[in-house]
Amino acid sequence: MRITVDGARCMGHGRCYTLAPDLLDYDDEGYVTIRDLTIDVPPDQIDAAEEAEASCPEEAVSLVRD
Amino acid sequence: MTDTASTSPEAAGRELGGCPVTRLDVAPALEAGSYWRQADELREASPAFFNTFAQGYWMFTRHDEVRDIYRDPELFSSESITPWEPEPVYRFVPTQIDPPDHLKYRRILNPWFSPAAVERADGMVRALCRQLIEDLAPSGGCDFVTEFALRYPTEVFLTMLGLPGSDADLFVPWVEDFFSGFGGDPAGQERMVNALEGMREYWIAALAERRGEPTPRDGDLASHLLHATVDDQPLTDAVILDMLTVLVLAGLDTTRASLGYMFRHLATHPDDRRRLIEEPALVPTAVEEALRLYTIIFGDGRKVTRDAEFYGCPLKKGDMVYGLVSGANRDPRAYDRADEFVIDRTRNHHLGFASGPHRCLGAHLARREMQVAVEEWLRVIPDFNIASDETLMERGGGAMMTLLSLPLAWDAAS
Repeated sequence: MRITVDGARCMGHGRCYTLAPDLLDYDDEGYVTIRDLTIDVPPDQIDAAEEAEASCPEEAVSLVRD
Repeated sequence: MTDTASTSPEAAGRELGGCPVTRLDVAPALEAGSYWRQADELREASPAFFNTFAQGYWMFTRHDEVRDIYRDPELFSSESITPWEPEPVYRFVPTQIDPPDHLKYRRILNPWFSPAAVERADGMVRALCRQLIEDLAPSGGCDFVTEFALRYPTEVFLTMLGLPGSDADLFVPWVEDFFSGFGGDPAGQERMVNALEGMREYWIAALAERRGEPTPRDGDLASHLLHATVDDQPLTDAVILDMLTVLVLAGLDTTRASLGYMFRHLATHPDDRRRLIEEPALVPTAVEEALRLYTIIFGDGRKVTRDAEFYGCPLKKGDMVYGLVSGANRDPRAYDRADEFVIDRTRNHHLGFASGPHRCLGAHLARREMQVAVEEWLRVIPDFNIASDETLMERGGGAMMTLLSLPLAWDAAS
């Protein structure tokens, strides 16, 4: 599985990195650091990644299931 | 409160595309919970209404409609956020600035309210909170709203901005007076205008004291704004005043309101109190659920920038729309068990902090303040109840709901 965040949609709510703190991080303004980037989701982070995707008020988080 | 049958579409004097008509005044104080019930009733009756109150405005009641209003700031301008007042006497920056300029102001403020800034402030937040609770605990009871929920976020907020916490004594009445007019009550207009003038004079004096210094004072937002630029130009005093004023209004009032409803829930749900004490990892989830179910935002207004059809409604340029956040957050189309407090709810994508570019600047701070309040309160006062049989009242939804009073009691020896 991979995860990405649509930089145009992300408004810095912070739900994703709060719910998946071992997978995602934030920058100085409070935006997740993987805007418009795709990273791999380790097997032990799949639940957290799915919760981050489902909890984004902007629907900016996407999972790619390999 | 609503009378969907008694007003004909013709009364509004325009083409409504079959949208039902109602007349709803959101200014009055009502029994606590009334505004959520109204939002629930409106949402289940129709996804949209034309409200003939004031000059008339559209109301959208369901999750997807409200989300889509927030998502399209080109169609839905923030020039006015109060649908009953399309030409307000105040201008909040960046709240009422549309993209693309909005982001330029927002970027000046974002670092002050970022997760990293909130993390740095955690020790201060916790110490202030703990002190207030330890002062209250021996008395065995208090009015939670006035003695805790108003003082705690006010002192935190002023400290974060680099102002003396004791200036809370000045700001608290200004904020109360401002919101007496903001929600659409004509009797509150004069108090609102006077409060705006009082805050303006405070900030003018604060800026005068800081002007001309070669570098911004560390941890002092007013000083920082005097050194900030947009498009390589310094901010005008008018813009700085508009920024500082909205920060105070938003930072002092909203957290108080959310804390009141959260603690009303805890006072009446001993099982949830026990669960949070036994499983403190659930505190952030419970706070998020309180922000959803007990949202303090009845609705959020926007001004239509061009003629457009939106969910079947023929909007005209200059019309006002009102997205019912209370309807959206409790919409069973968007949430399982939408009308229940689910303490370990997952997939909670509520709109309690709005969404889109105007997403609440203070959301990270508000969450932390609420989490700390729950943790610290339950540590010192694990059991408490509502101390009065009198009906709890809430301020009208037009100005954001807040409990006017919440009398709590506990065993002081515990």
